[in-house]
Amino acid sequence: MSRWPFRRILLALVALWLVTSIYIVPADQQAVETRFGKVVGPRVMPGIHLSLPWPIDRVTRLKVQQLQRLVVGGDLSDGVLGRTQPLVSQFLTGDQNIIHMRVVVQYWVGVPADYLFQAQDVAKAVGAAVEAELARRISRRGVDAILTTEKAAIQEEVREAAQKRINEYRSGVLISTVNIEAVTPPPEAADAFRDVASARADAARIVNEAEGYAGDVIPKARGQAQQALEAAAAYKQRKINEALGDAARFTQVAAEYERASAVNGRRLYIETMEQILPRIKKLIVDKSGNLDLTIIRKGSEPRNPQ
Amino acid sequence: MKLTETHYRAAAAVGVLVFLWLTFFTVKETEFVLVTQFGKPVRTITDAGLHLKWFFQTANYFDRRLRIYNPRPSEFLSRDKKNLVIESYVAWKIQDPKRFIETVGDAAAAEMRLHDIVWSGLAAALGTHDLEGMVSTSPEKIQAQQVLDDLTGATDRAALAQYGIQVIDVRIKRLNLPEQNKQSVYARMRAERERIARQYRAEGEEQALRIRADADRQKEEILSVAYKTAEKTKGEGDAESTRIYSQAYSRNPRFYKLVRTLESYKKIFDDKTTVILSSDSELLKIMMRGESGVQ
Repeated sequence: MSRWPFRRILLALVALWLVTSIYIVPADQQAVETRFGKVVGPRVMPGIHLSLPWPIDRVTRLKVQQLQRLVVGGDLSDGVLGRTQPLVSQFLTGDQNIIHMRVVVQYWVGVPADYLFQAQDVAKAVGAAVEAELARRISRRGVDAILTTEKAAIQEEVREAAQKRINEYRSGVLISTVNIEAVTPPPEAADAFRDVASARADAARIVNEAEGYAGDVIPKARGQAQQALEAAAAYKQRKINEALGDAARFTQVAAEYERASAVNGRRLYIETMEQILPRIKKLIVDKSGNLDLTIIRKGSEPRNPQ
Repeated sequence: MKLTETHYRAAAAVGVLVFLWLTFFTVKETEFVLVTQFGKPVRTITDAGLHLKWFFQTANYFDRRLRIYNPRPSEFLSRDKKNLVIESYVAWKIQDPKRFIETVGDAAAAEMRLHDIVWSGLAAALGTHDLEGMVSTSPEKIQAQQVLDDLTGATDRAALAQYGIQVIDVRIKRLNLPEQNKQSVYARMRAERERIARQYRAEGEEQALRIRADADRQKEEILSVAYKTAEKTKGEGDAESTRIYSQAYSRNPRFYKLVRTLESYKKIFDDKTTVILSSDSELLKIMMRGESGVQ
């Protein structure tokens, strides 16, 4: 009779023990199941699962979708604090310039079993692989290319090559992005680099100004040319019309003249004389007398001494 | 009597448990186990799971995972006598626990050995390559990959044979110049930038001048072409009017001569002109002689 509570306790304990064989993997996780240390379930998907009870089977859950970050060329806090660590961030370029870089790597778990069991320090392995590939890419490019056009290409090449490398290490990691967060010339030469940028801007500016000048001068010239052409056409038309008018008038008058040329000739002559003679000084001399030319001077003296 | 029997059973159960504890052992995926008997290695277990040994044998656990070892950055001299600071890493793991325990024992000691192999390997490699073999903008000159692949192979062979270590990778993490060389590099970089800046400005100037000169040329061309055409047009007008006049005048040359001469008199004679008229001039004949002056 006294054995009853003991047995019940024992049964309860056994039941409790058996319950440890049921486990749940949450939706954002995957799990690895090991039996006596050996992997029997390398990738257990979310849900309720059954295993052998503890400690025969053990379950390790991993947040596989959670991106993990690491920084090459500084710390995670550098970006936030705006800090640089010269020695950590210096890279040597192909044209033997020194530049500073900070690269952020994001990765997640690709193969849970490998991630858990194949490398002692996965972050360190990923960081080393990325850094090696980055240094290699930098060491074969010129500083201008790195600072301007090649950034995206470097990121992609490094991601690809580093992924290949960590696959060799079987660290079970998928690199999501390799992002060059900062790439700057060394502070010791920064102003010279800035001057190059402003030189480029200066060049663009004076070219723009010249284009502005051309845009101003050429249309104006075209306008002037058009103006000259129009004026010439007008001149031509005017000359011809005037000539036609003059000629028509002349021809008509000439026809009348021909009809009585003596009278008309005289009339024209006298009319002209009437117009001319009132304006001018006249000395009338007799045909027979000798001409004393001094009268010309006397006549003109009072009005116009010469 | 009853109590004693229970004691025996309990003792037996404990004994069995202890025996099982000593006989069974688990090997994790991250481990190798070297089973030793009185200190002497007898067996290496590389499979994870539950294993058996004799109770008098001992299980020695080794971390079989990949490790990353970062030797301190070291300065090397290239064939063309240039200094280069190289920071490398070695990816390695224990491959043969028996050899490993016999020769190096622990990770720190292993890394010291690896350091020596890698350092001398790099020094030898650098000694046979120019700096351009490591750092260059012309990819065909760069030998770094080949050097490192060779170094990885050589290190792996040496480490495996001697220490039971597998070397998966030897890579250069960072290339840099020694501190004392950096100032001159910065000076060179500055000079280079200044040259580039000057070049940009000069090229801008060049282009601007070209654009302005082209604009001026176009302007002159447009204006001169217009002048040419305009003068030609004017000439046509002049020619045409001349033709019209001559056509009209040549039909009545006498009248033209009269009219034109009288016309010119009006212009020639002004109030400064003095005319001496003879009394028997055509105009005055009548005045002097009366009716008889009329012919």
